[in-house]
Amino acid sequence: MSAGASNPEYVNARVRSRRATLFADEDYRKLIRMGPSEIARFMEETEYEREINELGTRFSGVDLIEYALNRNLAKHFDDLLEWSNGRLYDLIARYLRKFDVWNIKVIIRGIYTDSDPEEIRTDLIRAGELDERTIDRLVEVDEIDDVIELLDGSIFGEPLASATEAFEETGALIPLENALDRAFYENLLADLGRPYEGPEANYVEFLEAEIDFRNARNALRLARSGADLDPASYYIEGGVLFSESELSRLVGDYDALVDHIAENGRYGDRLSDALSRLREADSLIQFEHALDAALLEYADTLSSIYPTSVSAVLSYILAKEREVENIRAIARGREVGLSEDEIEEELVIL
Amino acid sequence: MNSLAENVVLQQDGAAGGGPSIEQGAAAALGIGLAAIGAGYAERGIGAAVVGALAEDSISPGIGILLTVLPETLVIFALVALFV
Repeated sequence: MSAGASNPEYVNARVRSRRATLFADEDYRKLIRMGPSEIARFMEETEYEREINELGTRFSGVDLIEYALNRNLAKHFDDLLEWSNGRLYDLIARYLRKFDVWNIKVIIRGIYTDSDPEEIRTDLIRAGELDERTIDRLVEVDEIDDVIELLDGSIFGEPLASATEAFEETGALIPLENALDRAFYENLLADLGRPYEGPEANYVEFLEAEIDFRNARNALRLARSGADLDPASYYIEGGVLFSESELSRLVGDYDALVDHIAENGRYGDRLSDALSRLREADSLIQFEHALDAALLEYADTLSSIYPTSVSAVLSYILAKEREVENIRAIARGREVGLSEDEIEEELVIL
Repeated sequence: MNSLAENVVLQQDGAAGGGPSIEQGAAAALGIGLAAIGAGYAERGIGAAVVGALAEDSISPGIGILLTVLPETLVIFALVALFV
């Protein structure tokens, strides 16, 4: 609920204490040397205990780790929404809606491929704003049109409805998925304005960075793959790094694109290491991880500048996401038999 | 113009003539009251944070109570105003 006064003090105290229980970098180094079942055993002794125990009878190995991670993530992020009131709720929900986007995508894809509702259910991350009942009803539905109807009234209803035509024409899911992403990113900055100082200004700056990095990532991928796609249709508005025309121009020229990011005052210094690596080693994954690390570090700085604001919550959300991604990367990496160095390259470690 | 100037002079006379517009005791009471309101506002935030931290079991209740009532010292200092 979004009624009532904002309560950043309460949420901050809880979030900071949960943040302290996240895995440290040494833990990752330990995990890298373990096999999937050992990782599961290790997690059982940490705060993932309950999830591992609940799912232990149904799954094993990497699946167990993955589902336990998702469930734990959903639990924590749901708590955030439950604790917060007023303005704070609004600010947190904006960001967590990305899990709604994920869930709706999973459901639509499930319906498209005629999957079993039970299978769809295990892939959901119930961390977003949509409540359990709505999600359960969505999973049981048989037609994509019914999904759109059920979502009527949420921020996704209208964009999805207007994308159905393109979907029915082509029979591909891409128009629907683009509509979802677009609805999410447009809502991210909606009616926040451009405040100049205080925690909210930094929150906006952070969200802009998120959009910028998403744009940069898409552009780099397009430039890399050489695919003949219109970059404009992937452009997300609201960032400060690119304008739509700049992006279309830069996608053709990989080096100019990297230069453009380096010249930007806001990100150039922070990402200088990553950018030089990107120029030499041609490793897009490394760059993406550097982006993630930069974003995370940035959120951390913000949370110490404005102790009782949404920044601390945001930095916790990012840190938790990173932890989940890292553990998943380790488990998957061990499963397919990557070496320790290779796995370490996949991790986002500060 | 003339009447305006007279008015101003009269007002100045009036202010100089009467005693303080608020008695000493009343002023002290006002000071203590304001201090109490300030302390209450500070305790609101700290209390919320302490309850949050207690729910996560990251501090002991004793520390929590101590932190919550720290701003209360302001009110005790404000009591000094009563005795001057």
